[in-house]
Amino acid sequence: MNQATSEQASVRQPAPGAKGRERSGRKRFNREGYLELYLILLPSLALLVLFKYIPMGGLIVAFQDYNIFQGIGHSPFVGLKHFHALFSSDEFYRVLRNTLVINIYKLAFWVPLPAFFAILLNEVRKLMFRKVLQTTLYLPHFLSWVIVGGVFVNLLQTHGGLVNDLIASLGGKRVSFLLEPAYFRHIIVASSMWKEVGWGTIVYLAAIAGINPQLYEAAAADGASKLRQIRHITIPGIGGTIVLMTMMSLGNLLGNSFEQILIMYNPAVYNVGDVLETYVFRNGIGQMQYSYTTAVGIFSGVVGFILVVTANKLCRKFFNQGMW
Amino acid sequence: MIHRLTKGDRVFVAVCYTVLIVTGLLVALPVLNLISVSLSGGNLVYAGAIKLWPEQLQFDAYRYVIQSKTFFSAFRVSVIMTLLGSVLGLLLAVMAAYPLSKPGLPARKWIVLAFVFTMMFSGGIVPQYLLINKLHLLNTIWAVIFPSVTSVFNLLIVKNFFEALPGEIEEAAKIDGASQLKILFTIMLPLSKPVLATIFLFFAVGFWNDYFNARMYITDQHLMPLQVYLRTVIFEAQDPTGNFKLDQNSLRNVAPQSIINATVFLSMLPMAVLYPFLQKHFLRGMVIGSVKG
Repeated sequence: MNQATSEQASVRQPAPGAKGRERSGRKRFNREGYLELYLILLPSLALLVLFKYIPMGGLIVAFQDYNIFQGIGHSPFVGLKHFHALFSSDEFYRVLRNTLVINIYKLAFWVPLPAFFAILLNEVRKLMFRKVLQTTLYLPHFLSWVIVGGVFVNLLQTHGGLVNDLIASLGGKRVSFLLEPAYFRHIIVASSMWKEVGWGTIVYLAAIAGINPQLYEAAAADGASKLRQIRHITIPGIGGTIVLMTMMSLGNLLGNSFEQILIMYNPAVYNVGDVLETYVFRNGIGQMQYSYTTAVGIFSGVVGFILVVTANKLCRKFFNQGMW
Repeated sequence: MIHRLTKGDRVFVAVCYTVLIVTGLLVALPVLNLISVSLSGGNLVYAGAIKLWPEQLQFDAYRYVIQSKTFFSAFRVSVIMTLLGSVLGLLLAVMAAYPLSKPGLPARKWIVLAFVFTMMFSGGIVPQYLLINKLHLLNTIWAVIFPSVTSVFNLLIVKNFFEALPGEIEEAAKIDGASQLKILFTIMLPLSKPVLATIFLFFAVGFWNDYFNARMYITDQHLMPLQVYLRTVIFEAQDPTGNFKLDQNSLRNVAPQSIINATVFLSMLPMAVLYPFLQKHFLRGMVIGSVKG
């Protein structure tokens, strides 16, 4: 007990002027009610261990030929068999490519669009107009992916859908968009931007609001046009935020879009739409290939972890601001 | 600052407004069209004549959805799941955030790290599923609630908020001999109402909109929440229990798409009604969340 408290004492940050009290750690432990605080913390900690850490231990099935009757305890170990299978499977590379292509495709719009619209919104001086517009643009953020799916299914219908009506009126041929591999990725990106770009402007609006207004006044006095003010004041002013947001998205390069694709895809577009997690879900839970798909899960988990940690390190280094 | 806009600037501002109006329409029109189709006569919907305004206004599609037992069952499951999950999530977040907001708590740093680590790495889909299966939680709403209820993001927001509260108030209570639990519930929480509302709404939107957990863990029709039900209706144009009769005989002048859209719109309603609160509190949450602890 004594050793434990002295160890803990070295961990805690001493309050200024509290040095004299440090020595009687145990007394302080009781006086501050730390035991009770631990008890209050216990339920969350127990759930954290049970539902987050025990599944991490469950990753061991990737090194077994797991079957549900023998369980983790008795299934035979097979070493790296499933990883060998994984890295020599064309299907795995196809799925990995889809994941990267879709997420990078999204990123190409997700990085500039919210900043672009924030700059435009910032030029709006009519408050009522601005409020109505923001209320409209933010709303989709609160809708579920299933509902967004419903909106796009309705929009893209072959007969009666607005998009196809437009195509037909311009003399084009109607397209059944959701069944066409050539369009599936575009739809995923478009619906994702429809849902999130408006909400994404908030961060940039805050960054623009933080720019010193005197800069604009000085520029205007020198006769700089609005466009030049944006180029030389606003964009440099929010550059840091743009890079920061990009880093955060890069950290999530493998984990993005899963639920959206699970909802919107179908067998006709597996070839271009299947991403790592949908692949794991279908073959793991659906086909009960537990061990093989856990190996896929480990791959995406480890790569994702490296990406997040690297992105966070870079943010701390260059912006003195982490993501957590 | 009164600077006369030059001609170039006026053109620029006009372009801004135009682009924004077009964007606003791009967001709003698909929803408007969805609603119009749900309210229009079947023959016009079949003909593809409905654009942005309902014609032959009728509520048959809604009458149909409201009479559907499965819709109501799914709606009810979602409400229960959302309320239960959000209350539990809020309680757990508060009870974890309070001890961890004490700078002197032994091993605090390590415990916080243990929480934060789960934001970056997880066991993934299959081990999670095997655990839920092992715990005999498949086909219970707990399978959806438990894995999502320890939200580290929400925990950190509450923790940051507690840390920013002045310490003197609790010190006074402590001298009066109040227990930690009592301090938390009678002193800290009343001071934290705004952040609690924000967190509650974060949880509520998360649980209400959750699709994947329910899809994975719940196969029993009676426990199916709204999002899973909705997905089958939208993408397979049928009721998952098979009693969603989309044949035209039973529905004289209602197009299947109208029924689908009516279902989507009714599912949107709770979020739309709460939207003013949501907007306010989510914005606040972003501000608190960006203050790092």
